[in-house]
Amino acid sequence: MQIQENPALKAEARNLSFFYGNTQALKGINMPIHDKKVTALIGPSGCGKSTYLRSFNRMHDLYPGNRYEGEIRFFPDNTNLLSPEVDPIEVRMRIGMVFQKPNPFPKTIYENVAYGLRVRGERNKRTLDDKVEHALRGAAIWDEVKDRLQDLAPNLSGGQQQRLCIARALATDPELLLFDEPTSALDPIATGAIEELVHELKKRVTILIVTHNMQQAARVSDYTAYMYLGEMIEFGKTDEIFLKPNDKRTEDYITGRMG
Amino acid sequence: MNSMTTEQIRALIARGKMKDTIFQALGIICLAIGLLVIFLLVGDMLIRGLERLNLDFFFQYASRRAAQSGILSAWVGSLLVMLVTAVAAVPLGVAAGIYLEEYARRNWVTDIIEINITNLAAVPSIVYGLLALGIFVYAFGFGQSILSAGLTLALLILPIVIVATREAIRAIPAMIREGSMAVGATRWQTCRYHIIPYSMPGILTGVIIGLARAIGETAPIITIGALTFIAFLPPVPFTATGVDGATAGLFDWVMSPFTVMPIQIFNWTSRPDPAFEANAAAAGFVLMGMVLSMNGLAIWLRYRMRKNIKW
Amino acid sequence: MMTESHHVSSRFDEDLARLRTQVLQMGGLVETQVAAAIDAYSSGEVGSVKAIVDGDRRVNELEKAIDDDCAHIIAKRQPTASDLRLVLGVSKIVTDLERAGDETKKIAKGVRRIYENGHLPGQFGPGVQHLAEAALNLVRQALDSFARLDTGQATQVIRLDDDVDVEFKSIIRQLITHMMEDPRTITTSIDIITIARAIERIGDHAKNISEQVIYIVEGRDIRHIKEAAK
Repeated sequence: MQIQENPALKAEARNLSFFYGNTQALKGINMPIHDKKVTALIGPSGCGKSTYLRSFNRMHDLYPGNRYEGEIRFFPDNTNLLSPEVDPIEVRMRIGMVFQKPNPFPKTIYENVAYGLRVRGERNKRTLDDKVEHALRGAAIWDEVKDRLQDLAPNLSGGQQQRLCIARALATDPELLLFDEPTSALDPIATGAIEELVHELKKRVTILIVTHNMQQAARVSDYTAYMYLGEMIEFGKTDEIFLKPNDKRTEDYITGRMG
Repeated sequence: MNSMTTEQIRALIARGKMKDTIFQALGIICLAIGLLVIFLLVGDMLIRGLERLNLDFFFQYASRRAAQSGILSAWVGSLLVMLVTAVAAVPLGVAAGIYLEEYARRNWVTDIIEINITNLAAVPSIVYGLLALGIFVYAFGFGQSILSAGLTLALLILPIVIVATREAIRAIPAMIREGSMAVGATRWQTCRYHIIPYSMPGILTGVIIGLARAIGETAPIITIGALTFIAFLPPVPFTATGVDGATAGLFDWVMSPFTVMPIQIFNWTSRPDPAFEANAAAAGFVLMGMVLSMNGLAIWLRYRMRKNIKW
Repeated sequence: MMTESHHVSSRFDEDLARLRTQVLQMGGLVETQVAAAIDAYSSGEVGSVKAIVDGDRRVNELEKAIDDDCAHIIAKRQPTASDLRLVLGVSKIVTDLERAGDETKKIAKGVRRIYENGHLPGQFGPGVQHLAEAALNLVRQALDSFARLDTGQATQVIRLDDDVDVEFKSIIRQLITHMMEDPRTITTSIDIITIARAIERIGDHAKNISEQVIYIVEGRDIRHIKEAAK
């Protein structure tokens, strides 16, 4: 195991376990997250992939009775994201998240994107305007909304809402972007747009994406991890996982076989 | 495949629909009974009080002569008491509700608090009156004033406001809260930018419904010793008071003696002269109108504010 | 590594099973064709040549049908991992089978030309005969290794194909000697070279099929590895 900072890694889970009360949801996960790459997490429902994803920005801290063991090392500064000394808010300021269902705030399009900046105390109108535009461009939605930034975000279509949520996460320049089944509520066209966007985004941000759509994992990711019953069964390059998985359980899952 | 013939299926559906019809009829009858009683009550009051319902009625003080009696001091007193009640109950109740929903950890302490709040709502209003008599009137020395009455009623509706706040907050989907926290917001930022604005329609509705209940309360107000016969209004700020000619301060009115609508009605009904009955009926009709318009306001406000909040 | 477990979609199972059956059917047909061509060569039964040419048409039709099935499975099921390798492998195997069929046709036509010119191939015979039987054996074993997904057998086919190549070269040398000694044999010799060449190609196709079997089972692409090493 590499202990020193590896320049190619953005993060690394080391023997990560997670408990909901007395239920162990993650069992000793070891996994690298490569810098400026897309890593996909696949596995059947309840395998812990979302739980794992939500450990990265300490979302579990919002609810009582949750407990982590092990570490998630975040590079280049080699911070342990799960350390009790590290404030979860600091973690969330560095790591953005996009949720399963588009969850824009019932505010204007502009305010949705500006929110992360306001939370950080940004008040300068010009700076806000610039960063909002930049984020909306980055999320490939600028052309659709530039003339109606003051419209309410929930009036956008589902696909637009999700891209708006991506813009909201991008506005604060996160180092790592977490996607929790971002297209499960979208139609195929909107899904395609999000996938295209993910491909564009990896030029500037590391991405970790949970998906129950294996074809999506195959299309968008550079690395894929297969999880089952809270364990990481197999991690590898996506090309290899989808053509020649090493573990029979991975094989059965991605070929759609019953165990 | 199907083991039933078309006739059998039709007979089955017919039987099922028969029960539908019976229940529907029953429901309409029950509803009609309730509505009928209300209409009878309101109608009866209107008929009996109609002769007194004119503009003078609203702008005259109570008098020993029924025909010259009005409800001026009563409705002004009711409005002022409601103002104090709202100012006291809303910040307290909303803050408590937000704390319980957003900050408090779920443990036995919060469980006990929850049970107590629920119980508070069930405490008879007269008990609040007794409590207020001891605390506000004597211990704090507020006397038999608008302030005492307002604070008493504030205590009375506090549980309603807290529960309404909590319900309104719970109606906000978890994903909105998570969406806010995920960009690095603190709990307070999340409350300030999201939880409070989005729960405002629900909170306001709860507040108004609480006030509508408070405006009709008689027992606690009598307990703290509201006067039943008041022929003056509380001092208007910065005007000369009638008694010694001194200028009234901004908040002098809160310490003024007062009466309220239900007490005025109670007073008139207990008069031996039957002529006052018409006054009571008319005042009752006005009070009814006040309550209904408050509820109407609540519905309208909720509708207006909810239009822009959806997820 | 074909797992015994079933797909959640039983129709996907059926699709894949049918695909494999069809390949084996096509393989069986090609095998029969090769055997018939060898028979014609040794016995001089020119009458069977027409049957072989007709049979090749059937082989071509099967190739198109199986390729079509592969395309449908990819479009409808988006196969992954071993399923994907099976479909890709099958699509290449049928190409090799079809080409082996074409080579068989060449053998049959060559045999007919030799007989029509009034010669007997037998006089140069045993070498070619032996070569043909070896190639037929390779086809048979390659198809067996596909049916059982047996990489051991597939590896053996690849090794045996080297022997066929060596044997082919020695036959060519023999025929060249013949032609130099007696130029009247040149026409027939060229026909026989064509036949031997076709037989050697059939062996190569059998080897390709075996390479696909290894790819299907292990995901290892071993094509051209030896060539690259040279």
